[in-house]
Amino acid sequence: MKKVSKLSIAVTLAVGFAGVVSAADLTVWEDIQKSQGINNAVVDFEKQFNVSVDIKEMPYTGQIEKVRLDGPAGIGPDVMLIPHDQMGAAVVQGLITPLEFMQTDKGNYTDSSVQAFTTGGKIYGCPKVVESVVMFYNQDMLPKPLATMDEYYDYSKKVHDADKNKYGLLAKWDSVYYAYGALRAYGAYVFKRDAGGDFDVKDLGLSNQGAIDAVTYMKKFYTDGLFPVGIVGDNGGNAIDSLFTEKKAAAVITGPWNLEPYANAGINYGVSPLPKMPNGQDMSSFMGVKGYVVSTWAKDHALAEKFLQFINQPKYVVERYEATKEIPPVKAVMEDKVIKDDPIASAIAVQASRAEPMPSIPEMGEVWGPIDAALQLCMTGKQDVKEALTAATDHIKSQIEAFRADNQ
Amino acid sequence: MTATSAAVPKTNHALTAALLAIIPGFGQFYNKQWVKGIIFAFFLFCFFLSARDLISHGIWGLTTLGTELPRDNSIFLLAEGIVVVLMLLLVLTLWGISIHDAYACGKTRDEGKELYSLKRQYKNLFDRGFPYLMIAPGFVLLVFVVIFPIVFGFALAFTSYNLYNTPPAKLVTWVGFKTFTNLFTLQMWRSTFFDVLGWTVVWTVLASTFQCAVGVLLAILVNQKDLKFRSIVRTIFILPWAVPGFVTILVFAGMFNDSFGVINGSILPMLGVDDPPRWLIDPFWTKTALIMMQTWLGFPFVFAMTTGVLQAIPEDLYEAATMDGATSYVKLKTITLPLVLYSIAPIIITQYTFNFNNFNIIYLFNGGGPAVAGSQAGGTDILVSWIYKLTMSSSQYNIASAITILLSIFVVSVALWQFRRSNAFKNEDMM
Repeated sequence: MKKVSKLSIAVTLAVGFAGVVSAADLTVWEDIQKSQGINNAVVDFEKQFNVSVDIKEMPYTGQIEKVRLDGPAGIGPDVMLIPHDQMGAAVVQGLITPLEFMQTDKGNYTDSSVQAFTTGGKIYGCPKVVESVVMFYNQDMLPKPLATMDEYYDYSKKVHDADKNKYGLLAKWDSVYYAYGALRAYGAYVFKRDAGGDFDVKDLGLSNQGAIDAVTYMKKFYTDGLFPVGIVGDNGGNAIDSLFTEKKAAAVITGPWNLEPYANAGINYGVSPLPKMPNGQDMSSFMGVKGYVVSTWAKDHALAEKFLQFINQPKYVVERYEATKEIPPVKAVMEDKVIKDDPIASAIAVQASRAEPMPSIPEMGEVWGPIDAALQLCMTGKQDVKEALTAATDHIKSQIEAFRADNQ
Repeated sequence: MTATSAAVPKTNHALTAALLAIIPGFGQFYNKQWVKGIIFAFFLFCFFLSARDLISHGIWGLTTLGTELPRDNSIFLLAEGIVVVLMLLLVLTLWGISIHDAYACGKTRDEGKELYSLKRQYKNLFDRGFPYLMIAPGFVLLVFVVIFPIVFGFALAFTSYNLYNTPPAKLVTWVGFKTFTNLFTLQMWRSTFFDVLGWTVVWTVLASTFQCAVGVLLAILVNQKDLKFRSIVRTIFILPWAVPGFVTILVFAGMFNDSFGVINGSILPMLGVDDPPRWLIDPFWTKTALIMMQTWLGFPFVFAMTTGVLQAIPEDLYEAATMDGATSYVKLKTITLPLVLYSIAPIIITQYTFNFNNFNIIYLFNGGGPAVAGSQAGGTDILVSWIYKLTMSSSQYNIASAITILLSIFVVSVALWQFRRSNAFKNEDMM
């Protein structure tokens, strides 16, 4: 049997003519408008190893989908950047390969960020950026962030004025992405992790006692009228943003993607880690990690690993942070004064250290819809907390089982 | 060889030529049609010689879907295999034509007639075969642009292609009808499938019937002779059609929002409804909202068509009816409605098939939600939006494809049955 059919050669040629095959030794897909962060490192790498590196920018969330066709066609990258929650499916489908150097280098990165890219005992990604929701507070209304959620509750009660549309704290707790911090502090979890760091998809912890306690506590903010009804549902996030930028809310829980829009709106805000819950635990949060991975179709796997090791030396990571303002989960840099002395970066870094990476297994895709619907029912008082959460977990379980059943 | 056959008088030229034509071109050579023979021989030999590897590789790929990782990518092999099969079919057709041509010319010779000269054949081809010549390139293109994706999509239903069996990590294998049997035997899949199918049918029937009924009714009302400002009223009724559908849907989605939508916030309380329905959370009310929205979106089209038909009904029919003492109701029942429905029947049928696959409104309004316990799909998912979710968010390609096949069978058979029943497609004149 011929190894390569003429047809696939023809297809490759056709695609090749359309999108010029790169002659570089190493092709890297970077996030959009972020390549300035690694330019210096790349130049030094090219000099030291006498190779050429081609950097292309494209939105990082779409890269894994693109490599599925570009990889086999021979125009794919060696190194690309993906959000860690796409890693599970990419590994199952064989689109990326494990990184050997991370086994020895993993001590350089924060544990949770490495965990985010670990599955089946292998490390598939080199973490580049960590993100987590944090507390944004308007310094003109609330000079210092408060230490506990109870204090925020009392503060919200004090400043709340329904007629003038004034609010204290606002958060989108009808969505598990924002509510997870509180849930986790009370002992809830999405999937149980076993000793090896892998998830048990049959053990869901979003309807355990901790989850019920946490949701019952958060519900107070809604039932006592401290949260307006308009911040529930798909467009709730926009409603929260506009209340904060119109100076009608003193504090909001949201992510670093709002740093710039809020500053542009002329808000004198500060950023702090999330407060303690009434049971004395720090609020956790879902952490998002962007990381470099190596494609299955990489021309030179060893060189790709060398490249990642090279550009993640602390001096280059500091440069990268200064150019992109994205928090790198490299321990040496997180201790560095560039981050320590920056109140915003250090707040995000502190919260990231308390955060947990979102489960990266493909089954996570079945979790969002049902649990968000249940939280919405709870917060709006339309269903009993325990009842809603249990129904949602059962639904998620049956969904996962159905997709697995087909696989046997 | 030809000499011996030709030596026997009154022999069977037709059969000999046809048999010889199995070797491309030789049948024509036997008939002494050298140019035609060379053309056939050239094309067919070139194809088989150059594409031999391609064909064997394609067929091998199609039957095995690959045997070795990471060399073989099952999905690419499947696509290549289908392309090869389609190409083969086209070439076999050409081969068949050459055999038939040899046979036909042989028969002419058997009957003792002279064969046409090359010039005459050329002229013949252009005179009689002109339409075929013209559509041939388009047809070949159609085979690869339309037939190929359909065959490829349908073929996936018989493979194990899903999230856990995806190249390059795994090979995909043929599993026969297993996906279909799973769909009907596994409790979770079966209940979801019939829930979704049931709602799809209810949705199609109710939404389409409402939009057609409202459209026809309004058109008849607006067409009354004594109505003032008819053109303005008509324009107003056409307006929902003038706004792009997705814009209307998104605006409605905002208006129906449970917590800050204008319907629950202002309109219903104003009408004295204290406990307004939860439009986006309760499946029943989401369905109600969807049907009302589709009625709004769909009626202007039927309205416009009906208006056109109404204006074509001759006035003397009504005059004669009035002379006979018919009331307005009788005139509506015996003249207007039959003529209108007869003329717009095909349009009404297309409204039904359109709504059966009306993805936009379901997806844009509430994403197929709200979630319902014990079902793989959302509360308002119709088959096509469920297929979308299975493909795009759950990567269950084989199940999605199996449902697509079932859906196509359903839509195609309903459409065919309706079309055949409807007199409008026969070229008869009713009046």
